[in-house]
Amino acid sequence: MVRAGVLRPAAVPGRVVLVMAGGTTSTMFRPRTVGEAVEMLAAAHDSGAAVALLGGGTDLVPALRSGERCAEAVVALRRVLELRVRGAGADSLTIGAGVTYTDLAGWSLSPGLARAARVVGSVQIRNTGTVGGALGSARPAGDLLTFLTAADAEVLTASPRGPDRMSLPRFLADGLAPDALVTAVQLARPGGPQVYLKIGERQAAYPAVVSCAVLVDRVRHRLTCAIGGVGVLPARMGQAERYARDEVDWSTGTVSPPAARRFGDLVVEEAARVAPALPEGPRGSVEYRWHAAGVLAGRAFARCLHHLTGPPAGDTARGPAAGGQR
Amino acid sequence: MTAVSADGLDAAADGPGGGEARTDSGESYRLNVDGFLRSVNAARIEDSLLTVLRDVLGVTAVKDACEQGRCGACSVLLDGRLAASCTVLAADADGSRVVTVAGLGGAGLTRAIRAMFLAEGAVQCGFCTPGFVVAVTDLLTRHPDADEGEIREALSGNICRCTGYGRILAAVRAVQAERGIIPPADAHAPGNAQDRPDGE
Ligand SMILES: Cc1cc2nc3c(=O)[nH]c(=O)nc-3n(C[C@H](O)[C@H](O)[C@H](O)COP(=O)(O)OP(=O)(O)OC[C@H]3O[C@@H](n4cnc5c(N)ncnc54)[C@H](O)[C@@H]3O)c2cc1C
Ligand code: FES
Ligand code: FES
Repeated sequence: MVRAGVLRPAAVPGRVVLVMAGGTTSTMFRPRTVGEAVEMLAAAHDSGAAVALLGGGTDLVPALRSGERCAEAVVALRRVLELRVRGAGADSLTIGAGVTYTDLAGWSLSPGLARAARVVGSVQIRNTGTVGGALGSARPAGDLLTFLTAADAEVLTASPRGPDRMSLPRFLADGLAPDALVTAVQLARPGGPQVYLKIGERQAAYPAVVSCAVLVDRVRHRLTCAIGGVGVLPARMGQAERYARDEVDWSTGTVSPPAARRFGDLVVEEAARVAPALPEGPRGSVEYRWHAAGVLAGRAFARCLHHLTGPPAGDTARGPAAGGQR
Repeated sequence: MTAVSADGLDAAADGPGGGEARTDSGESYRLNVDGFLRSVNAARIEDSLLTVLRDVLGVTAVKDACEQGRCGACSVLLDGRLAASCTVLAADADGSRVVTVAGLGGAGLTRAIRAMFLAEGAVQCGFCTPGFVVAVTDLLTRHPDADEGEIREALSGNICRCTGYGRILAAVRAVQAERGIIPPADAHAPGNAQDRPDGE
């Protein structure tokens, strides 16, 4: 039988809960500031315990329950109000790690990102799942991760060595130091239409199988495209991006209709070369996923650039640009 | 002593006595469940709110089905927001307001929802019903005049294996009609092909 108790040491009143289970001690850290979170994370590691950072828990809690993950100490970030802030500078947007999908879903400063957030899971998942958790889980077709990959986002972190920042690909390649946490992500303000689409099983219950973000920057004459679900992480489609740069009429922000098909074909070719590839899973063969990537990319491309033939992307809450899973 | 502030954050953190040790009582932490502060004993750090509500506190109105955040049977309001309690770490809910279907009570909006679920045949085996009642209460509180597409979207995190959802949708429409939000005639035309979210 498990015995348990609580201790709220006077040194940090109310901020540390010790749960004793089966004679061993588990510690629940509940910091209120980033500084406290960094200190508590370091203290947790020093104690030699298996430590987990907790955002909303939508990935971590089921994994703890199933035994896939284990933790003797948890640093819970939900009460760190600093992490729940979204902000806008002259050129950039900064989104705290504790911001939820629901918080993002109505954000008028980044309609593309808001759409990507709106098509995550269910109300329940969007209310609890956070940006920090999306980066921590780094799912192959994570909605936010795919969008941020196309957006050249930077990841801001904090550790005992102070604040740091790195590109998203570096963050994903190197991972976080064990004593560091993600504090925010930063991306450029939108410079044109942005479309996010995904395909998969029941959206409320399962993350996407294949995801696609196409972002147009009409100021810098640039189009970026990221595909999730073909590699172990979302990948950029450089060849297709170069094709778009040359093909788009940047004075009007439009392309000829056949260009979307060619763009999709280039994405299929490139998706097949993404390494390391996601192993064949129960949900779709690799060929299916390459094909789906091309279809989504062609469609997103057309929606971004065919202003004359359809409503402009990015101006309606639930309009054609809202990329529901199906 | 744990106090719970209106915003749901843990007021004990800064309050007097926040540093007291409770190891002697065997209490791990306290949860504010349906307005009552409940002691949680014999906790394990990995326990979800769902596990603690049902297995420790005996709140069996909250149902346990998938434990993966997929079915919505365990839905509660956490600080006023709809959440799947199987994805919430119980120890992290110390200081938050947890409201279950039992705490939503037999009055007002929830009473109307429960009555219409019965009247419209939206309850068959009933296993999904507590979660749906919480989710519908959340929806109609935030968005009383939600249209059919919005209702379907808002309830997509709740799975029902029996009703095929048509009766559940009819119950929500009937609540809206009863409250004068939609004309009564509209309440009985559910199931029309909705616009696809991608507009295709
Ligand atoms: C039913 C269901 C449906 C889902 N649908 C989707 C979907 O449609 N699209 C999608 O993209 N995802 C989906 N997910 C996955 C999940 O909701 C997201 O990945 C979410 O963003 C995770 O955030 P969280 O705050 O809940 O993370 P948590 O579960 O708290 O944490 C996840 C991981 O990130 C780490 N972490 C948390 N915060 C930080 C931080 N600040 N710094 C460093 N590491 C951190 C944790 O240690 C853990 O390893 C779904 C999950 C479920 C259960
Ligand atoms: S039991 Fe929590 S969502 Fe299914
Ligand atoms: S009534 Fe049986 S699962 Fe919904």
